[in-house]
Amino acid sequence: MQGTPDLIRSSRFRAEREADWRRLEALVALAERRGVHRMDFAEARDLAELYRQAATSLAVAREISLDRALLDYLEAPTARAYLSVYAPQERIGGLFRRFLAVSAPAAMRRAWAFVLVGVATMALGALAGGTLYFDDPSWYSVFMPTELADGRGPGSSAAELRAAIYGPPDGGGLAAFATYLFSHNTRIAIFIFGLGVFACAPALLLTFYNGLILGAFVALHIDRGLGWDVFGWLSIHGVTELSAICIACAGGLQLGTAVLFPGDRSRAEAIRLAGRDAAKLALVAALMLLAAALLEGFGRQLVQDLRFRVLIGWTIGGLWLAWVRLAGRGAA
Amino acid sequence: MSADPDILTPPEGVPLRFPVAGFGVHVGAQIADIAISGLAAAAAILLLVVTGAVAPIWLAGIGAALFLIVRVPYYVLSELAWNGQTLGKKMMKIKVVAHDGGPLTPHALVLRNLMKEAEVFLPATLVLSLDAERLAPSLIALAWTTGAVAIVLSNRRRRRLGDLMAGTCVVHLPEPVLPSDLSSTAPATATASGADAFGFMTRHLEHYGAYELQTLERVLRVEEQAPATAAEIDRRRQVRAAIVERIRARIDYAEATPPSAHLSFLRAFYTAQRAHLEQRRILGEARADKFHRETRR
Repeated sequence: MQGTPDLIRSSRFRAEREADWRRLEALVALAERRGVHRMDFAEARDLAELYRQAATSLAVAREISLDRALLDYLEAPTARAYLSVYAPQERIGGLFRRFLAVSAPAAMRRAWAFVLVGVATMALGALAGGTLYFDDPSWYSVFMPTELADGRGPGSSAAELRAAIYGPPDGGGLAAFATYLFSHNTRIAIFIFGLGVFACAPALLLTFYNGLILGAFVALHIDRGLGWDVFGWLSIHGVTELSAICIACAGGLQLGTAVLFPGDRSRAEAIRLAGRDAAKLALVAALMLLAAALLEGFGRQLVQDLRFRVLIGWTIGGLWLAWVRLAGRGAA
Repeated sequence: MSADPDILTPPEGVPLRFPVAGFGVHVGAQIADIAISGLAAAAAILLLVVTGAVAPIWLAGIGAALFLIVRVPYYVLSELAWNGQTLGKKMMKIKVVAHDGGPLTPHALVLRNLMKEAEVFLPATLVLSLDAERLAPSLIALAWTTGAVAIVLSNRRRRRLGDLMAGTCVVHLPEPVLPSDLSSTAPATATASGADAFGFMTRHLEHYGAYELQTLERVLRVEEQAPATAAEIDRRRQVRAAIVERIRARIDYAEATPPSAHLSFLRAFYTAQRAHLEQRRILGEARADKFHRETRR
C-alpha cells in the first residue's frame, strides 16, 4: 500500500480528490452567478473537466465507499455542475433570429393540414353565423358579446354602421387601443391553443364560435348594403388576425390529436412530441396578433379609404403566406 | 426514465439525485414571482407618471404592454437567461430541469410557460373574481382549479400539464456540505493506528453490514457537534454506553472498555468495520446489513 498509510482505501480516495471537488464547487458558484459564457476559457474548460471527473468519482465512490456523508456530499456539486455545464448556451437574440428564419415557417409547413382544419372550422362558423342572421336577425345578439359589438346591432341604422366603420376611435389613445386589442386577442389565442389539449373539442368550438360572430357581423352589414365597406374594415387587420386565430387553433388541434390518437406512444410522450410544433404555432399566432393589433389600432384609424384598406390588409396577408412558404427552406 | 422520481440521469450516465419540489414550494415561488413582476411593472408605470417622461395618452398603452410582459414573456425570458430559474424560483432555491437528463431547450421553456396561462393565471383569476350570485361560473372555476391542482398532485414528480408537455420538472438545488471523514479524524486518544489498539480481528468484523455501519456513522456525526446542555452530555454518555455494550455482545469482544474509552472504541470500530466492509465489497461481496449471512443462504 502506498500513499498515506494510516488511511483506509476510501479515505485515501477522498483525500486525493477533495481539492478538485472544492475547486469545482467554486467554479459552479461562479458559473451560477455570472453565467458560463462570461467565464474565462480556462475556467470554463476546468468546469467541464472537473464535472466529468466528479461524475466519475461519484460512480466509483458508490461502488467502493460506505461513507454516507461523502456520497451525499459528492452528489451536490456534481449535480449543480451538471446543471451549469448543460445550461442552454444560446443567446436570446440568436434564438429569435433562428425562430423567425427557420423553425417557425418549417413548423407551419408541417402543420398545414391542421391550419386548413382551423380555417375550415372558422369558415363554417362564419357561414352558419351569416345564414342564421339572414334567417332571423335576433340571432345576432345571441352570438355577439356586448363589449365587442360596440353598440352595433340589428337595431342600428346604415348611417350608424357607416360612422363606426369610417369614424375616429372613441376616446383613448391609439396606442392604448392597440395594446388592449393585442392583450385581449392574445388571451383568446392562448386559450384556443391551451384548450386544444383537451381532445380538440374546445379549440374547435371556440374557433367555430369566432366564425359565428364574424358571420353574423358581416351579415348585418351586408343586410344594410355595407358589404364592401365592412370587407375593407375587416381586411386591414382581419386577414392577419383571423389567420392567427386559425393558426392557434391548429396548434391546439395538434395537441388534441396527440391526446386522442397517440399511436404507439404513451399519451404523455405523444403530447410532448406534438408540443414541439404546436408551441411554435402558438408563438406565430401571438406574433401575428401583435401585428394585427397594430394594424387595427393605427392602420384602420389612419387609413380611411376602402381600396387602401383592402390593399394593405391583403398585401400583408400575402407577405405572411410568402414567409411561411419560402423562409428557411433548405436551412433546416 | 427511472422508477425513483428524484433520480435524473445526465448524459454521463451517473444517476444524480434531485429532490422534486413539492406543491407548496411551487405555489410559494409562483406567488413570489407574481409579486415581484407585478410590483416592478407598477413601479415602472409610477415612475413614468411621476417623471412625466411620456405623454399621458401613451401611458395606458405602455401600462397594458407592461402587464402583458410580466405574464408569459417574463417567465420564458428569465428562465432562458438564468438557466431555468425565475426570481421567485431563485428565492425558493428551485430550478427547472429537463427530466430526461438533457439540457433545457428554449422550446421546453416556451411551452411550459405558455401553458402557465391556462393552468395558473386562469384559475387564479377565476378564484379572485368569484361571484356568489352566479352559480354556474363558480362551479366551472372550481372544476378548473381542482383539475389544475389534481394534475400536479397526481404525478410523483409534481409536474403540471406544461411540464408534462415540455418534458421538464422542478427540483430543489442540492446544497453541497462536506463533513470531515470520520475514519481519518479520530481524536488523539485513538489515532488511525489506534484502531489496532483495540485489536479488532476479522472475526469481530464479520457481523455487521453497511446499514449498521452507516447508523453508527450518524451517531458519530452527532458526537462531533458540541453538546448544548449538561443533560445532552449525560444522554450522549448513556447512548454511547448502550451502543458499546450491544456491539461488544454481538461481536463477542472480550476485553472490557472503560466509559472514558467508549467514544474512541466506537470510532476505532467504525474505521475497522468500514475498511473491512469496503474490502469485502471490492471482492464482490456487498453486505447490506447484519442479516447478510441468512439472506445469502
